[in-house]
Order: sequence, then structure tokens, then C-alpha cells
Amino acid sequence: MRYYKCIVAFFVAFLFIQQADAQNNTNTFLRSVYNKLQKAKDYTVDAHIKVDMPFVRMLPVNAKIYFKQKDKFKVESKGIAIVPRQGFDQASKMLADSSSFTTIVQGEEKIGAILTKIVNVIPLSDASDMILGKFWIDPVQSVIIKSQLTTRSSGTILTEYSYGKEVMFGLPDEMIVSVDIKKFKVPKGFVSEPTKSSTTKDSEGNGDKRGKIYIKLSNYQINKGISNSVFIK
Amino acid sequence: MKFWKNTYNEFIKIAAKPRSYIGIGAITLIVSIILFAMRVDGAFFISLITKPFEQSLSFEGNILNGNLIAFVILQMLIVHVPLLIALVTGDLVSGEAAMGTIRLLVTKPISRTSILLSKYLAGCAYTLVMLLWLMFMALVVGKMIFGTGDMMVLNGNGLVVFSEQDVFWRFASGFSLAYLSLVTVATLSLTLSCFSDNSIGPIVSTMAIIILFTIISTLDVPVLEKVQPYLFTNHMVAWRNFFDDPIPVAKIIKSGEILLIHIIGLLTIAIYKFNKKDILS
Repeated sequence: MRYYKCIVAFFVAFLFIQQADAQNNTNTFLRSVYNKLQKAKDYTVDAHIKVDMPFVRMLPVNAKIYFKQKDKFKVESKGIAIVPRQGFDQASKMLADSSSFTTIVQGEEKIGAILTKIVNVIPLSDASDMILGKFWIDPVQSVIIKSQLTTRSSGTILTEYSYGKEVMFGLPDEMIVSVDIKKFKVPKGFVSEPTKSSTTKDSEGNGDKRGKIYIKLSNYQINKGISNSVFIK
Repeated sequence: MKFWKNTYNEFIKIAAKPRSYIGIGAITLIVSIILFAMRVDGAFFISLITKPFEQSLSFEGNILNGNLIAFVILQMLIVHVPLLIALVTGDLVSGEAAMGTIRLLVTKPISRTSILLSKYLAGCAYTLVMLLWLMFMALVVGKMIFGTGDMMVLNGNGLVVFSEQDVFWRFASGFSLAYLSLVTVATLSLTLSCFSDNSIGPIVSTMAIIILFTIISTLDVPVLEKVQPYLFTNHMVAWRNFFDDPIPVAKIIKSGEILLIHIIGLLTIAIYKFNKKDILS
């Protein structure tokens, strides 16, 4: 009997150690991704933004993006630019405080030629805007290949990243951001045609839709120093 | 030559009447109020446009610019400007009848048709002045206050963003179609003016017809749906189609045709009535 108890205790301890080890490995993954992102203290980059969304029609626009650690972010554009509310620095923000979330490795998935590790990040606080973060991480380059952030305020945002020469800073060359668009209704008074319905034809009965924003990033200027006044709106 | 001189005289008559400046004054006042309100509370207005998308998207750039302001002003006022135009064009014939000067007018060595067409052209010129003033106040003053930039429009199909370079021709085309709809109202009031010997009747009748047709256009009743496409009031907002993407060309042409048919039909009635009119006093 005593012998069996020892085996069970050993088995439980083994599982616990394995779990703790897995947790440590996951945290190490995320930490290395985060550390890489932290290498760029500030940067500016030219962005070519193309919006492909239901209910939105616009030509691609060029903009300049400014970022400064820890969370200063600005998009400057001559024309009107539509950018995802979250997605640029959300992953970095989320990973900043490793004590605020717990992680689970879900498995592996091959994206293109890269075998990624899928890591689920669950915030510990109930008050957090983030409900769940899912990251597809390239363990070799320590960069995020894909992320799926589910937030209370913005729904689910799926972002795919492609990297070029700034991979050493974890900064992508291209991002494809998929966002939820709520059923769209024109406020009364905006449509002047008396016989025209105020709800969009496409949206009727279909509920929410997804749209994509394609962002090509080029001409990175990293760690050149950006004044805080740039971020004052 | 006599015709053009007569047309010029008719325009001078319009310019000499104090009531001709009520419309211009009203446009100046209303647009100034809108510009002031937008300057103070424009962010709230913009949020009405962007609200459906704000959960997921962020809008960057100068959204509240002169182009958007001009669009908003045109949308708000284009339905009401006809009432100001009728104030002048409804008086063109009946005003002369009321004052007794019509008798003197028809003694001129020029046909009654030419007299009426002169009045009509002068009325159209006045309408153009009103529209150009509206355009100046909305587009030029708007741009002076709010700057320029891409234009964001919310329509039944969603949100459309036009680049700054793509906007001016749309405004020019939109104003041209809006002019056609205002000329339709001017023609209607002139026609009614031929049937009356006092100014109030044609002006009030024009307003009543516009209100009645607008109500019929708004009612979602199947029995009225067959009539609605043929009411000119339904095409007074056709200028807005130039701010759709892609532009519904067939729809614009149809609106133009219906407005032109109204103009030709009403003008024919006016000429017939004016030629047959008993001018005894």
C-alpha cells in the first residue's frame, strides 16, 4: 500500500514538474519575443494602408507611423487613414507584464515554411480588456507570426505578420489585420434620399462581418530618437 | 437682341427688389450658424459618422475639413433653398400683374413668349446666383475655416472616402444637378405665377407642392411607390449620387431626364397660359 502511495506521489510530482517546466518554456518563448520587441526603443515607418472591408470604400493611403516605448503611438497621414484600433502594439503591451497572465501551449502549426508554437495567453485580471490572446510564435526567430486577440472592446482581431530585414527588432514588413465590423446602420438624417433604407443592404440579416486591413511597412528608422511632442495630438 | 436686352432688364428688376436678398441673407446666416456649430462641436458630428466602426477601427487625418463641411451644408440646405427661390420666381409674372405694370410690359414690340422666356432666364440666373453663393459659403468659406483634405461620406452602402483630388469635380457635377432641380422649382413657381394676379398665391402654392411631394416621397406605402419615382422632389437629392462609388450613372441620367421633362412641361404650360392671359388692368 505504501509502495503504491509512493508511486502516485511520484507521478503527481512528475506531472507538476512537467507542467511547471512547460510553463517556464512558454514564458521563455514569450519573454524572448518581448525582449526582441523591446530592442526598438522608438521607430518611425512609412505605411501603405489598404482597406478591404464591407461597408467601407477607399483608395489605399500612405501614412507615417511613430512609435516610442512604452506605449506612445501615432499615425500621421495627409489624407484619411483607417487603421485597426488595436493590433500594432497590443501584443507588446500585453506581454509587458508577465505576472498579469498565464500561458498554455496549445501545440504547433506550420504557417508557410515556419513551424510555429501556438501559445494561449490568458489574463489573470477579470477587469482586463483582453479576454484571450493566442500567438503563433516562430521559436527560431522569436517573432510573432500570427496573433489572435479577443478583447471586450474591439472583438477579435487576427493579425498576420511577415518579416523582412527588421526581423532582428521583431518589426514586420507587412501586416494583415482582420477585424470584426458590427452590423452597420446609417444614423437617421445622413441619407437624404427619402426612399432609401437607412440600413445597408449587405448587412441586413447577416449580423457582424469581417474586414481586412493590409499594411505594408517600409523605411524603418529605428532608435533615432523621437520627441514626445510628436505624439501630442 | 431685344430679347437679351429684355432679359437683362428682367434681371435688373429682380436685383432691385429687396425680397431677392432675403434668400442670400438666409443662406449666409444659416451657413454661418452651421460653420460655427461645426467649429465648436464638429468632433461630436464626426463621431456620428465613425461610430459604427469605432469599435474596431481608428480614423486618422483631418476628417472635419472644408469638403465634408460643404457636403453637409449642401445636404442640409438643398431641400430648403427652393423655398427661397420661389420667393422671387413666384413673383415674376404675378408681381407685375399685382402692380399693374404687366399691361405696359406686353405693349412692348416683343412677343409674349419672349417676354416670359426673358423672365424665365432672369429667374434661372437668379437661381444660379443663389447656388453659387451657397457654393461659395459652403466650399470656399468652409475650406478657409476647416482646411482641405480627403472627404468621408456616409451613405446607404456604407462609408466612402474620396481623395482630395477626386472631390472637386464631384462637387461641380453635384452642384450642376442641384441647379437643374432648383430650376425645376423656379419653373414651377413661374408657371403658377402665370395663373395668379398676386404674388402670395404662387409662392405659397410652390411651397405647398414641394411639401406635399416630399411627404409623398417619404411615405413607405406600396400604392404611392409607382408615383414616387416621377415626383421631382424625389430627384432633388440626386446630386448626392456623385458622391457614391461607383457612380450610379443610369440613376443620375434618369433624374436629369425627369427634371428636364418637368421643366419643359411646366414651361410649355406657362407660355401657353401667358399667351392666353387676359391682361385687362
